[in-house]
Amino acid sequence: MSALHRLRGFLALAVVVALLPVLFPDNYFVTVVGVTIGFNVMLAVALNLFIGFAGQISLGHAAFFGMGAYASAILTTRYGWSPWPAMGVGLVIVYVVALLISRPILKLKGHYLAMATLGFGIIVNIIMVEAVDWTGGPDGMSGIPGLELFGWAVDSDLRWYAVMAVVMLATVLLSLNIIDSRAGRALRAVHGSEVAAQTLGVDTARVKSQVFVLSACLASLAGSLFAHQQNFISPVSFNFFFSIEVVTMVVLGGLASTYGAVFGAIVLTLLPQVLVVFEDYEVLILGAILMSIMIFLPQGLFVGLVRGSTGLLRRLRPAAVATGD
Amino acid sequence: MALLEVRELGKAFGGVAAIADLSFAVPEGSIYAVIGPNGAGKTTLFNMLSGVYVPSDGAIEFDGTSLAGLEPHQVATRGISRTFQNLQIFFNMSVLENVMVGCHQRARSGLYRAALRLPGVVREEQQIRAWAIEALEFCGLAHLAERPADALPYGELKRVEIARALAADPRLLLMDEPAAGLNDTETAELRELIRRIGARGVTVLLVEHNMGLVMQVSDTVLVLDYGSKLAEGTTTEIQNDPRVIAAYLGGEVQYAVQ
Repeated sequence: MSALHRLRGFLALAVVVALLPVLFPDNYFVTVVGVTIGFNVMLAVALNLFIGFAGQISLGHAAFFGMGAYASAILTTRYGWSPWPAMGVGLVIVYVVALLISRPILKLKGHYLAMATLGFGIIVNIIMVEAVDWTGGPDGMSGIPGLELFGWAVDSDLRWYAVMAVVMLATVLLSLNIIDSRAGRALRAVHGSEVAAQTLGVDTARVKSQVFVLSACLASLAGSLFAHQQNFISPVSFNFFFSIEVVTMVVLGGLASTYGAVFGAIVLTLLPQVLVVFEDYEVLILGAILMSIMIFLPQGLFVGLVRGSTGLLRRLRPAAVATGD
Repeated sequence: MALLEVRELGKAFGGVAAIADLSFAVPEGSIYAVIGPNGAGKTTLFNMLSGVYVPSDGAIEFDGTSLAGLEPHQVATRGISRTFQNLQIFFNMSVLENVMVGCHQRARSGLYRAALRLPGVVREEQQIRAWAIEALEFCGLAHLAERPADALPYGELKRVEIARALAADPRLLLMDEPAAGLNDTETAELRELIRRIGARGVTVLLVEHNMGLVMQVSDTVLVLDYGSKLAEGTTTEIQNDPRVIAAYLGGEVQYAVQ
């Protein structure tokens, strides 16, 4: 399989991401919501490696997102560090914490793993609220500096769009590379049958721990960027509800599909923005849409739509359509 | 020389002995069958040999070194592969990918190298793919390589498990009831496949209920009853052993062999 064939979906995505700000340079949904979508895609794709492909569950991923954000915020505002080393330190902290908790936590399965990660997320969030001297408590932290890349200040919506587009596409590429490799197959094997994977030489405990840590590190990077982009953070952005929201993005788009996670993140970020026109009924309609998707497309929006459309094409032109992936 | 040696092996589940004081040796290059009624402890034995269960007593030696304290994935690295009585297929992958997982321990590149897709990773991927296709061809499954595993019928999935285990390039292959659920044609094909695996130099340890198959392919047969050795010998010796006939075979075996 040639690289071009393997990455045709990625290239299509990259073209769309690059064209949007050219076609709609002043559109609020592109340059403002688009940046938020960038963060969410990063988080959803990273989490999908852990829950979609490896078949595990984490209800505490917002904690890693928040740890990255707070590390950057604290080091830059309180200690005057420049953003890049601060981001690096955040990454190292998250790497160590994720590695330490991964071995004991990942011995658990199913509901118990959900409870453990949920507990972890809540504890981290409580620290953000209570450690007022460091984090500013519930009021959060303001005055976080923006980013600068070799003298190029990331100081406009459009520039942030560019930065997030690159980082987001890099995350997607990373995920695609992993899935289509020895390590990625080991991940999916853990999901398919853990005992069979073990008897084929896969160290399943190590595989799960590695992907958990990688997923946490990507969330931490997203968090650091988020802090610099918003210039202000507070614990509300990293609470239990946000963890659930990221899980919802992954499930909504379609588990075990990188593009599904991308799609889920886009839909779940855009929908509330679009539904604002319904005012008081906004949340109600959002809930109804999510429920209907799960009832009628249980394999996820993206996966379901792709299968549905290839099935339809096949019926229309039985011989001409090759099997999709 | 014995490739696998089991000495005074025992496994108890809360006071109930599933296997007790079991000793036997599997010579390198042979096809060795373990038979016995349901509940005789055959699958428990397999789970201990592949490291899934920890023995309560005794020792397992593979190629002269003890397997005590090894995790299943470490046992696999020593050169022991297995198939499962109840299918353990990765239904979330294609047939080829299933078998490619079988090559896991023959390759090296990890998560981070794969994420960056360094040049070495791409070369290794091609090698893994070649190994997997070779295993699929050996089992007559090459034409199904790109199919999703969940689209295959049961009989073919059983062969996918064998191909996956062979892709690991094992020295010892443990087959847990490979003929269960197969029809006569498929069983005949399986018989040929087991013979070809043996001819390839892979030692086979077979647990099976289909007496016709066992008697046709095996060099040595071990009969288990209530977790202990009832008899061990060549197929002829076993078929004529009065204890075996009384406990297990009855008149069935003569019929099955004819």
